[in-house]
Amino acid sequence: MIEHDNVSPAEDITRSYQPELARVIGKWQMTELMVLLRLQTESGENLEHEPGQFLQVSLPGYGEAPISFCSSPTQTDSFELCVQAVGNLSEAMHDLRPGDFVGVRGPYGHGFPIAEMEGRDILIVAGGIGIAPLRSLINYIADRRSDFGRGIVVYGARTPSDRLFLDDVAAWDARADLETYFSVDEPDDTWTGMTGVVTVPLRGVEIDPDRTTAAVVGPPVMYRYVAMELLAKDMREDDILFSLERRFKCGMGKCGHCQLNDLYVCQDGPVFRYTQLLGRSEAIEVWAPEEQKG
Amino acid sequence: MPTELVMTHEAVPGFFGRLIDEGPVMGPRERARQPGFHHFDWLDSADDLVLEYQTTTIPPKKAFFPPRDVLFEFDLTDPPEFRAVRDATPFTLVGVHPCDLEGLRLLDDAYAQEPAEACWPANRARARIIGVDCTPDEYCFCTSVGSCHSRAACDLFLTPIERGRLVEVLTGAGEEMLRVSDVTEASDEDHAQAQQWRDDKEAAVTAGLDASPAEFADLLATGDFTDIWHEISSRCYSCGSCNTTCPTCFCFDINDEFDLGLTGGRRVRTWDSCQLAEFALVAGGHNFRRLRWQRVKHRWHRKFDYLYREFGTPYCTGCGRCSRACTADINIVDVSNQIIEAARQGVQG
Repeated sequence: MIEHDNVSPAEDITRSYQPELARVIGKWQMTELMVLLRLQTESGENLEHEPGQFLQVSLPGYGEAPISFCSSPTQTDSFELCVQAVGNLSEAMHDLRPGDFVGVRGPYGHGFPIAEMEGRDILIVAGGIGIAPLRSLINYIADRRSDFGRGIVVYGARTPSDRLFLDDVAAWDARADLETYFSVDEPDDTWTGMTGVVTVPLRGVEIDPDRTTAAVVGPPVMYRYVAMELLAKDMREDDILFSLERRFKCGMGKCGHCQLNDLYVCQDGPVFRYTQLLGRSEAIEVWAPEEQKG
Repeated sequence: MPTELVMTHEAVPGFFGRLIDEGPVMGPRERARQPGFHHFDWLDSADDLVLEYQTTTIPPKKAFFPPRDVLFEFDLTDPPEFRAVRDATPFTLVGVHPCDLEGLRLLDDAYAQEPAEACWPANRARARIIGVDCTPDEYCFCTSVGSCHSRAACDLFLTPIERGRLVEVLTGAGEEMLRVSDVTEASDEDHAQAQQWRDDKEAAVTAGLDASPAEFADLLATGDFTDIWHEISSRCYSCGSCNTTCPTCFCFDINDEFDLGLTGGRRVRTWDSCQLAEFALVAGGHNFRRLRWQRVKHRWHRKFDYLYREFGTPYCTGCGRCSRACTADINIVDVSNQIIEAARQGVQG
């Protein structure tokens, strides 16, 4: 073998493309398109993820896709993934049963900056399936309640039947130390909560902008409007955290698919400060209109 | 200064013949059905090797990052089995031009950036590399990006002189490749001839960027050249040839293949191109670089702005391959100079 100065072969699973095995130990159909899987690594090792990080999940023959952890790191004996049936791989994952195996590698990326969020009020804004990665953060905060100030959860879904994690949602709602605001865009006869997109309940939330960090995950179209609401509450741009979606093929900042100007969403993100995105033209869809700033 | 020796014309075939006897050697050889065109391929004998050749269509990065690379194999057993299939056979890559040596160095840096991926360095560690000096054509602009005299990544480097090749011994591995019978001491005249070759080569480079890499990076970063991107992209077919021929492009896709028996298969990594329409498409149908001009702009920024800032050197070696390959005649030097001129005149989109 020839030594080259700046080349260092690495055996770490997060640097290689070959996954390790994880076994499905629980499965819950949450909606027609969404399934929740509970998994354990075959090695028994805890993957030690942070809320907001993602895992590359494989079914041999179908391929590999990035999926955010939706369980809290405080759940150490297993982890959970929420899978939306949108393609060959995710549809095949809907057919998994307890006892079946998947391949996993990771975790990858920068999640929510927990250390910096401790002691502060946390405003969580979830739109649609954005609740999945945020469930990891919400349950972490719920389990470490004294480490944080206020815990505020704002969750908007399209219809009542699209709402995910109903057991968790009920548990958050029942806690006196979490404030919850729920809405749906298209209510039905069963819905007694607010009507409108997530910014409707968000507008009514009163916060102390100096003490608050916002964690926001939702469809691409949502970010700009949430930014406008948060800036209208006098929040600092640095205290607004957005988690972005791109097509991660490698998770190591190499394959190029997730590049956002000079950043790799898979490595520099997926959680970004709003200030990081403001100067970058390929994140223009999240920018609040200029007049909404300050 | 590295040791410099002389390999006479008579000694060259014996030297390369012995390397081929020792193990696999990849180098420039004439394409079987296209006389006068050369490509990097495995050499059967020293007669196959062409040391004076015009730039190949596909750069030698393919020795370490093949266009199609099996990452691992799997069996659809319960549980499934994943099997590493990395080839660890040592080999020698010969006949690499300075711009392509620089390309290998740039990919060393890119793939080693934390978290370093495992395939590139494992393949790089398998190989010894011998560089050769070259004769530029009208597409070459290595003098603009600092790759003209690169000795990066190679163990030996050969420069033509009257009685053979001046051999720069750059590493211990290079020293080990040479036997006493291969080389003799270099005279002052040999050194002078090699220097003359290098001077002539530099003078023969006629194309060039009108700004330094540092200035070009700043101009790109601060200007808005939307009109130019629109004009260039109106000619671009989004075929991706500029990416597939580029010695510094390192993007890829990963997909699974089943065996016909459906009992197993393999995960395969293939070269990808940021110019293809679906490159930035995500599940759900949102495309973050849907418009062609956004993709054309991305390529320039990635080469001359983003990666320049990350690694301190443009991710362009001045080899000219993208311009040669472009069916729409989009020339990297012309477009770059158009941007430089517009920025300096304050004429922006």
